[in-house]
Amino acid sequence: MLSVEQVNVFYGRAHALHEVSFSLARGETLVLLGRNGAGKSTTLKALIGLLRATSGRIVFEGHDITRSESYRIARLGLGYVPEERRIFPDLTVAENLLVGRRAQRDGIAPWTPERLFALFPNLAEMRDRPGARMSGGEQQMLAIARTLMGNPRAVLLDEPSEGLAPVILDQLVAAIRALREQGVAVLLAEQNFRFAARIAERAALIETGRIAWSGTLQELAADGGLRGRYLGV
Amino acid sequence: MDFLAVQFLTGLASASSLFLVAAGLTVIFGVTRVVNFAHGSLFMLGAYIGWSILTRLPREPGWFALGVLGAAGATALLGVMLEAIVLRRVYRAPELFQLLATFGVVLMVQDATLAVWGPNDLSLARPAWLRASVAIAGQRFPAYDLFLIGIGPLVLLALWLLLHRTRWGVLVRAATQDREMTAALGVDQRLLFSAVFALGAGLAGFGGALSLPDQSANLQMDLSAVVEAFVIVVIGGLGSLPGAYLASLLIGLLQAFGIVFVPRATLVLVFVAMAAVLLIRPNGLLGRPLAPGQITQEIRPVIRAAPTTLKWLGLACLVLAIVAPFFAGPFLLSVLTECTIAILFAASLHVMMGPGGMPSFGHAAWFGLGAYAAALAVERGGASTMVALLAAVLVPGIFAIVFGWFVVRLAGVYLAMLTLAFAQVVWAIAFQWDALTGGDNGILGLWPGGWLRSAPAFYWLTLAICVGGALVLRRAMMAPFGYALRATRDSTRRAQAIGLDPRSLRAAAFALAGAAAGLAGGVFAFAKGSVFPGYAGIGRSVDALVMVLLGGVDTMAGPIVGALAYTGLYDVLLLATSQWRFILGLAIILLVMAFPEGIAGATRRFWLRGREA
Repeated sequence: MLSVEQVNVFYGRAHALHEVSFSLARGETLVLLGRNGAGKSTTLKALIGLLRATSGRIVFEGHDITRSESYRIARLGLGYVPEERRIFPDLTVAENLLVGRRAQRDGIAPWTPERLFALFPNLAEMRDRPGARMSGGEQQMLAIARTLMGNPRAVLLDEPSEGLAPVILDQLVAAIRALREQGVAVLLAEQNFRFAARIAERAALIETGRIAWSGTLQELAADGGLRGRYLGV
Repeated sequence: MDFLAVQFLTGLASASSLFLVAAGLTVIFGVTRVVNFAHGSLFMLGAYIGWSILTRLPREPGWFALGVLGAAGATALLGVMLEAIVLRRVYRAPELFQLLATFGVVLMVQDATLAVWGPNDLSLARPAWLRASVAIAGQRFPAYDLFLIGIGPLVLLALWLLLHRTRWGVLVRAATQDREMTAALGVDQRLLFSAVFALGAGLAGFGGALSLPDQSANLQMDLSAVVEAFVIVVIGGLGSLPGAYLASLLIGLLQAFGIVFVPRATLVLVFVAMAAVLLIRPNGLLGRPLAPGQITQEIRPVIRAAPTTLKWLGLACLVLAIVAPFFAGPFLLSVLTECTIAILFAASLHVMMGPGGMPSFGHAAWFGLGAYAAALAVERGGASTMVALLAAVLVPGIFAIVFGWFVVRLAGVYLAMLTLAFAQVVWAIAFQWDALTGGDNGILGLWPGGWLRSAPAFYWLTLAICVGGALVLRRAMMAPFGYALRATRDSTRRAQAIGLDPRSLRAAAFALAGAAAGLAGGVFAFAKGSVFPGYAGIGRSVDALVMVLLGGVDTMAGPIVGALAYTGLYDVLLLATSQWRFILGLAIILLVMAFPEGIAGATRRFWLRGREA
């Protein structure tokens, strides 16, 4: 449903992504693993149209979205949850969800605030709280819930585990698994292998803007040397 | 006491009128981040369109209401056109370029309005129901003003409900806080921006039409309205509607009581109030600093020394300018004198805006101070021309040192507005303190004395002073001081971490720019033989802004090219056509669209293409 073909991205003169290619199938969870600065966030931003690919092709659900504007890409059903969460600070939880709301799509049970509150019970208790007064974990959940309000077919999650307490991570894992059961594909960018291993099926290792390896998560779990080379500190 | 009660009500009524215009401006700024200088023009159009509609309708309250709403609707439509035709093309341009483009619109609308409605003030015949009054505390108070008092809070409530109780309003607020994220959630911002512009423009038109029973529609109301609205929006805090209402109350009451207690200082009062608020609350009464998602970090190109070819070209121009008196007639010589002065004036603003990173909307303050310092030195002190010119450097320089100490604490639009406030205070003092400055009549008969009496001699002096001054400024910007200043602009924290003191650096640049602009003003006073309050007026501040932006902020040659292009274009247009504003405005808009980095910036880009690794 999503295919990325030989994408190059530049920040000014700095070559940030080199010939990046991968694909994501319907309902699949793929994790993009790499250290800080490896190009994970850049890849996700290029997919959602916040950065322009200078060459290559990005196809989502049969549409070439390489040069599309963000809002068009989102409307096609590609959801994006940024690393910094970017909750609207002056909007309440309910209002943040309202911004994300889009028309329902065939084959996907439409997300409603009620269904999302069932998935993230913490949020249900703070409907009228402004985003600025939420903890990091709560903001992360709201960011995911807000993106789901758009009834996406695929979701880009940028380092959702960053800075979260273990008990919140458990909830997050449960929520992402629930997504997969709905048939929503997930592209996860992470440096936390143990978190990724709990949800992803396939992995791609990225370093200095290049995809260095890709395969199943079992293969990666079995190869400590590989992990050490691309994820070790 | 009774009199004060009525004065209080009058203040409330004018607060409502002020709020209508300011509310539109703040909503537009909040979402689009465009500083819409043309907002006053929309207000003016609302008044004129309202006049055209209302004079054709039966003079009944119901028809009046309908006519006012019609005028608001028509203005909203014009606002959408403005957004779609002009602003949509400059959203990606730096903030100040958007301002420049909207200023071009101001000029065009002025001439268009003149062409459609003529030069005379248009007032509404007031039927009996509009003249009705009620007795309050023994005084007669116009019933219409009571109605206005109610309108302000009503509009505030309606806007609040719109922004908090509708999905559209929530989307608008989301876009205000983080545009990129709003787009990534699938919201088409173009529609949102157009709708917000329609709302803001409609409010301005509504305010304009409602102002008709109390004042006439006239061609000066655009600039006065937009300046007042800016002041209110800044006092209230950019993007805050309740803040705008509070600020409207403050200004409305201040004006109502000011006219009673300090009638000779009413003009100053408003700007002193704004300066006071900004010093205590740098983000306005209810404003907050921008969140990281709201700041679009501009990466400014490095300013380099001019390539050798350009230096030779500059030298050739200078030689041509030096020999000009031998073949140029008196008119050409006076144009050249003005151009030369404009170079120093623009170069001084460039020091602030470019390397200093401090946009100023009130650079005429220093120009005016310099002109008046020179004029008063001659008139009161009997000083010679050269001593008077020394005064034109020292007086603004000292004021700039004192004022700069306050100014460098602020940033961005707030800083720009504080400089505007200071310029307005200078202008108001020049205008209202007749005894010293001669008020609106100015100070006349200031011709250069002694050997400078011949036109070529004075021209050569002007050339020496202005080109010399501009070269001194250039030298300072290419010296370690200039590098440190730019480092401070690009990253205050990093500059601090390597031991630079950003405030001192910016204050020094501010003083330098003020003194240089003052010198330009002093020379100008002698070139014209007179000084007027207008030397410190908004028009002249805008001239300086246009020159710098037109030429390009990020090159040293920019302000020079801009000064020559703008002054030349202005003088030629003034001579060639009565519709000079329209053509100048159109030229500015087209230039902003074609060369968002200014004329010199664009030339450099073409020049350097393929030469830089």
